[in-house]
Amino acid sequence: MALPRQSAATLPLAEPPPATGLGDQAFADIIRDHLDALHGFCVQLARDRSDGEDLLQETIIRAMRAHPGLREPERFKGWLFAIATNVWRDQLRARGRHVQTASLDELSEDGDGFSLFQTITIEDPFPYSDELHLDFLRLFRDEDVQAAFGAINPTFRLPLILTVVHGFSCKEAAAVLGVPLGTLLSRLHRGRKQLERGLWEYAVAHGLVTATEEP
Amino acid sequence: MIDCPEAVRRMWSYLDRSLAEKPISEFEEHLETCVKCCGELEFNRHLRELVATSEGRPPISREVRTRIDRILMVNADGEREARR
Repeated sequence: MALPRQSAATLPLAEPPPATGLGDQAFADIIRDHLDALHGFCVQLARDRSDGEDLLQETIIRAMRAHPGLREPERFKGWLFAIATNVWRDQLRARGRHVQTASLDELSEDGDGFSLFQTITIEDPFPYSDELHLDFLRLFRDEDVQAAFGAINPTFRLPLILTVVHGFSCKEAAAVLGVPLGTLLSRLHRGRKQLERGLWEYAVAHGLVTATEEP
Repeated sequence: MIDCPEAVRRMWSYLDRSLAEKPISEFEEHLETCVKCCGELEFNRHLRELVATSEGRPPISREVRTRIDRILMVNADGEREARR
């Protein structure tokens, strides 16, 4: 039995879906083309494999119900990612949680001056290294980066996931999240700063480097 | 010509390909004369790659792929039914 149709217009999407044109079979084929990337994105959103897989399934069901078909394939990936983001937000709300929003302190430009590059230069954790900064990055295993990355406020982490991990342009990422480009750029900046500070603090806390002074 | 603080401010946007043509050429002009900013750009490029690689794409299990395939097939079958 086919899934009940749902008007694409009823979906809380960042932007309208691509224009209709293709049937269910072609639509399914194109979803399969994007399945690996969408699965990765869902796991990255949920920060948990099992929750991410549930999110993936719900995203696909919602996409099938909206069933826009395709006339602009280049917009399809962004459209799917926008659905996943909205489903994730809905799931958090249903569980009595909400997307962790940024505090006023985090949104403020104050305290924004941290620079990982400068901190490494000043702290000089490898005095005999010819590649001081790159040697710092080489300290990190995947799970270390994931821990520091996962600690970033989701408001600021999402733009990083879209641009750095999934290769969306800033304009495309803004469309996926349904925010103006300026907002996206500001959040990206805050996310990078949280990442830089998070990596340094993680390295100090886990004994990867010894800090001589408070950055 | 832009100075180092301005070059650093534009660095990630440059890597994100979100700078317009003029700011790009000003930034690249600065890089031609500034070894420090070249080093910082290289560092940020590696940092970006580190995040992209570490977050990566977790492999999708056979069980999940099968589950998704079933959902897609049910819908496609429904379409064929409706056409009869």
